[in-house]
Amino acid sequence: MDALTAALKVAASGLGAQSERLRVVSENLANAQSTGNTPGADPYRRKTITFQSELDRTSGGSLVEVSSIARDPSDFPIEFQPGNEAADEKGYVKMPNVNALVEMADMSEANRSYEANLQVIKQARDLISMTIDLMRNQQ
Amino acid sequence: MIGGIGALQFKPAIDGAEAASPGLLQSGVGTQASESVGSSFAEVLSHAATKTVNTLQNAEQMSIQALKGDADTRQVVDAVLSAQQALQTTIAIRDKVVSAYLEISRMSI
Amino acid sequence: MQPVNLFDLATRQSQWLAVRQSAIASNIANANTPGYTANDVEPFEKVLDRTAVTLAATQAGHLGAEKSNAGFNVKPKEATGSIMPSKNTVVLEDELMKAGEVRRSFELNTAIVKAFHSMMTMVVKS
Repeated sequence: MDALTAALKVAASGLGAQSERLRVVSENLANAQSTGNTPGADPYRRKTITFQSELDRTSGGSLVEVSSIARDPSDFPIEFQPGNEAADEKGYVKMPNVNALVEMADMSEANRSYEANLQVIKQARDLISMTIDLMRNQQ
Repeated sequence: MIGGIGALQFKPAIDGAEAASPGLLQSGVGTQASESVGSSFAEVLSHAATKTVNTLQNAEQMSIQALKGDADTRQVVDAVLSAQQALQTTIAIRDKVVSAYLEISRMSI
Repeated sequence: MQPVNLFDLATRQSQWLAVRQSAIASNIANANTPGYTANDVEPFEKVLDRTAVTLAATQAGHLGAEKSNAGFNVKPKEATGSIMPSKNTVVLEDELMKAGEVRRSFELNTAIVKAFHSMMTMVVKS
């Protein structure tokens, strides 16, 4: 596989990885207020995503893939909400350990990386096109 | 490389011109005047051909530098465009000279 | 050995640019991979200085990754500036700038080849 096609493959793997990342971010944001159902139950635990690089035999490029989607082990913050069905006997509810600001920052980073990978795909495709164009338009 | 191609194509044409013009003028006018006029025409042609070859070589040099990575883009473009212009002009001249030579050779003496 | 032929040099440079493009693609795709170090090709001048013997030796060897790298060395470059806690050394802006340079060089390369090719056919045609 020539280098330009390899670049396309690598950038495509980048798109896939960043899409996964965005999916995890959107899950976290959507469940930022999801408490448990029974008194004292645990709420939604934030998900984290980790990437790893993998050297592709055929193309020679370093593809990126999702190595794991794990749970954030940090403690749940506690709020005082006596009316909530998950409130313990003192009226405290464990809230998900999702910080909306952190998730938004992660989302904009994921967007930036996604755009960069997209640019690589466009450029690699254009370079291939330019090479083929050498043969065209000859009288 | 480009110079080689240039030299191959132009030499027969120039030699043909040198051979044709003194011969043509000698038949009509006196030898003294015809020699000077004929040789200067051939000189002009060979001078133009040399200039073209130089322009081509300059364009090739600039392009090689550009490919190695250190040349001003505009200079390279200018050099290549000049070379293309010079080449087209010289080819047109060559074609005209060749067709003129053929026409003369077809003339009944 | 230095290729003196214009078309050979242009082909060599376009191969080098393609390998650089794939290195940039790997860097950008792995911008968030922990422990990943950014790669780059050796400079083109170094490639030209190497003798033909060395080039042949590099190509005759390995399969797979080396084959698509066309005998150019792709090495991790040293980290400059701050080191992230994740040990990732990719700077996205630098990679995008390099990609712009690759594009410009590639356009110049194909334009030069096109121009000289048309000049050569011009001479032969009549």
